[in-house]
Amino acid sequence: MKGDKIPNYDHVARYCKPITVEDGQIQATAFMVRMGEESLSVNWLEFLNCSSRENEIAELRKIYSRKFNKVGTSAKIAVLNIGEVCEKVLTKSPDRRKLEVLHDPIENDPSHKNDPSHSGIYNLKQDDELIAELILELVRETYSARI
Amino acid sequence: MQHMALKKIDQMSESSIAYGNKFLDYFPREQPNPGAENLENIQQLRNRIPKRILAETQERREIFISDWPEKKDPFTQSDLLESEEEEVQRLISQIKISLSLRYREKLANRLITLFKDAKEEDTDSLGITVDSLRNFIKFLQLNSNLKCPSISLTPEYNIYASWKDECSVFSVHFLPNRDVRFVILKPNYRHPERQIRVSGITTTDILMEMVLPYRVNDWISE
Repeated sequence: MKGDKIPNYDHVARYCKPITVEDGQIQATAFMVRMGEESLSVNWLEFLNCSSRENEIAELRKIYSRKFNKVGTSAKIAVLNIGEVCEKVLTKSPDRRKLEVLHDPIENDPSHKNDPSHSGIYNLKQDDELIAELILELVRETYSARI
Repeated sequence: MQHMALKKIDQMSESSIAYGNKFLDYFPREQPNPGAENLENIQQLRNRIPKRILAETQERREIFISDWPEKKDPFTQSDLLESEEEEVQRLISQIKISLSLRYREKLANRLITLFKDAKEEDTDSLGITVDSLRNFIKFLQLNSNLKCPSISLTPEYNIYASWKDECSVFSVHFLPNRDVRFVILKPNYRHPERQIRVSGITTTDILMEMVLPYRVNDWISE
């Protein structure tokens, strides 16, 4: 349900645009919010209710191809554990930032871009380069965003 | 149309000067091409003034938003975008011939790829923010002994450069106003299991002086 806190042991995936990837390596810019953006968009993997990570990734690719005009060949998917991200940012950011990862489903979208597993990492700011670098250190799995 | 644009610029300049007389000092004119046409200068001014105003207060922001010419004006829409794009392309092509870097060809190609990727994803985007690119080039001119960084674009299409080794990171976000925000992550030399984390903001010209105590040259210099 919208606004629900996602459990710490669950995982989210971040779509990393080609402009945030070099030679297949995701850069910290993938975890930066743009001006006026309330949260960093992610997808809640366990919500997809798939039997394996491979199936979750396959499902995500379908969502991306529906949502975005174009999924670049070098675009990536970064998988993060919520508990690890929140703990690391809380203990290692200069202002002991308390991030929140909340379910934010996109439903009844007039352009048919519904995304029920859509979620957000909240309490990020536009000038959070250090936090973006901390999050980058926690990326354990990466996948191509395109088949 | 240009007369109207000039008038608008004058109004914005006045409001900035009224707010603080450091405006002109803060953005000293430095054209990469001294013979550039007035139109280009006007467009650069237009880009800079609102950003500064935006950074001040919410109240100022509201003034700015209401003061900005409507997008239906072709001068502010496609002409401006095209001009900025051309300037980005010109700067990238200059890198190939003017920067004294061993990897200048690779660097220019990387920037072209980023520009294309950004435009492919959003045709209305700037591709790369021209003043951020200028700031980055200025930094490379001042520091020609550095290894080739990984380069990506921030959500605002600014240049973000990272130099990494096995356990250390030095990343720099090149802002359009000649500032940089930087991050250093490196092992604590007395307690290698722990990490030193430093971040800050400064002007591009003194960045390397600022970070000298953290010995970033150990992993970013050739």
